[in-house]
Amino acid sequence: MSLFIRNYKPGSVYNAQIIWRYHSNKVDMAKKEEEEEFRVLDILKTRTRLQKKVARRTDIQPDRSEKMKTDQNWGNVWPGPRSFHPSSVPLPMRQGYVPKGQAPPGKKANAELMKVPNFLHLTPPVIKMQCEAIKKFCTPWPELLNNEEAIEKNYPVEIITSDYCHASPTIRNPLSRIATLRIKLSDLKLDKHARDKFLRLVGDKYNESTDLVTITADRCPIRKQNLDYVNYLLTACYYESWNVEDWEKDKTLEDMEYYDFDQNPSKANLVSWFMRVSKKGDLSDEEIKVFDINNIPHGPEYKKAVSDLFNNSESDQTLQDYDAAVRKLLGLPEKKVAQ
Amino acid sequence: MNNIIKFAQSATILPQWSPIFASQFHTSSALCRVVSGKYRITKKRDKPLTYEMANPPHYIAHRKSWNSWNTSSLKDGLRKSETAVEDEFIRRFITGTWHGLVCSEVIIKRQFNHIRVAVIIRRAVSPTKMYFLLGYSEEMLSNWIQCPVTLELQTVDSYQDVVFKYI
Repeated sequence: MSLFIRNYKPGSVYNAQIIWRYHSNKVDMAKKEEEEEFRVLDILKTRTRLQKKVARRTDIQPDRSEKMKTDQNWGNVWPGPRSFHPSSVPLPMRQGYVPKGQAPPGKKANAELMKVPNFLHLTPPVIKMQCEAIKKFCTPWPELLNNEEAIEKNYPVEIITSDYCHASPTIRNPLSRIATLRIKLSDLKLDKHARDKFLRLVGDKYNESTDLVTITADRCPIRKQNLDYVNYLLTACYYESWNVEDWEKDKTLEDMEYYDFDQNPSKANLVSWFMRVSKKGDLSDEEIKVFDINNIPHGPEYKKAVSDLFNNSESDQTLQDYDAAVRKLLGLPEKKVAQ
Repeated sequence: MNNIIKFAQSATILPQWSPIFASQFHTSSALCRVVSGKYRITKKRDKPLTYEMANPPHYIAHRKSWNSWNTSSLKDGLRKSETAVEDEFIRRFITGTWHGLVCSEVIIKRQFNHIRVAVIIRRAVSPTKMYFLLGYSEEMLSNWIQCPVTLELQTVDSYQDVVFKYI
């Protein structure tokens, strides 16, 4: 029984039983051998069967990092992304916060090192090798598109979409459906009427400071559909802006939303004044309308000053410009600032 | 709360009820003590703690890092709740399947649809059994979650190897 207690380990009841039986058998055997000289035939082979099974612990191999050569190809040791494994990395690493004067925990059995994402699979030589491998699938960049201006000139329409990379069983992200089209308004072939109409159609999608029209679509579930829709919107707006409806001819001077110098009495006054001064005789209303302001010296400046005054409201600057333009037009001396 | 008691005591409308009102309320200051994720010091100072346990939760991102790495926790991340539930399921499955062998927290990293589970395991069972459990866990988890699951194990001789300090 003492043997039983000494050998007893928690969780190995079976073993304990065996030991108990083995022990009692052994005592019996010893007694018998003393009394008789013949060996007893052991039919049931109890002795061999009761051999205690020794739990063998397999030998732990030494670390792989200890057998590594200094000139090995690291890419073969660590080919892909993987959590840190101390026996594969031949670096004396430590990580962890410890009080001052102590050494941080080493690389073995260190969960912190396993947590941080590592880039052991993306060492510079490996990146170089992989770039070389995919080089044969690449084509050279077109030589004529060597600067931003050339790209903008040849490809005026800019399409902006986003791809998303995330950890999830599905690769789809609903945000990737959004498509944005950007184009410079000056790249579109529009006349004055068409431009005005186009701006009215696109509304706040036009940015005046950058001259960019931005059309965004996210109403369809797939990016392809949104791209088609964006292109359709641009095309439709463009052709619609070139259409002139019958009722647009009914627009009178009172309906104008901005001051148009060429349609206002200012032009008629200017032209008739100029004709009288230069003694060329009077013009009819039609002739006045088609008369080119550029023929009058300082005419364009006057036109600009008057238009600014009406369109951009009265301010010191516009009034000053108007003053200077009128003085130039009439050949008066420049305004002397009172000292 | 004190105001209510005062009101109840000074109320002239129901003077006969006021002592009852006052006795119904037990007031004491709120005990704002954070105890989750912290371990109490034992008398003999012999309670083993791993590095993870030795640093309370407010040291995450300062002294220790997260146990789950995924994009769901980022702003506008997708599948927030699903990811959390799956991670908890994986944790329970691993600690149950590798019963008594897991020596550290179960670290779950997700990249695209690939789930990598990193654990420190005690070398208490034979390598054959370990290989079986490895394949079994990977197969079962990938069947349930419908993603490739990889177990990245590190083995230690005994629990003593991961002990950081005793309190």
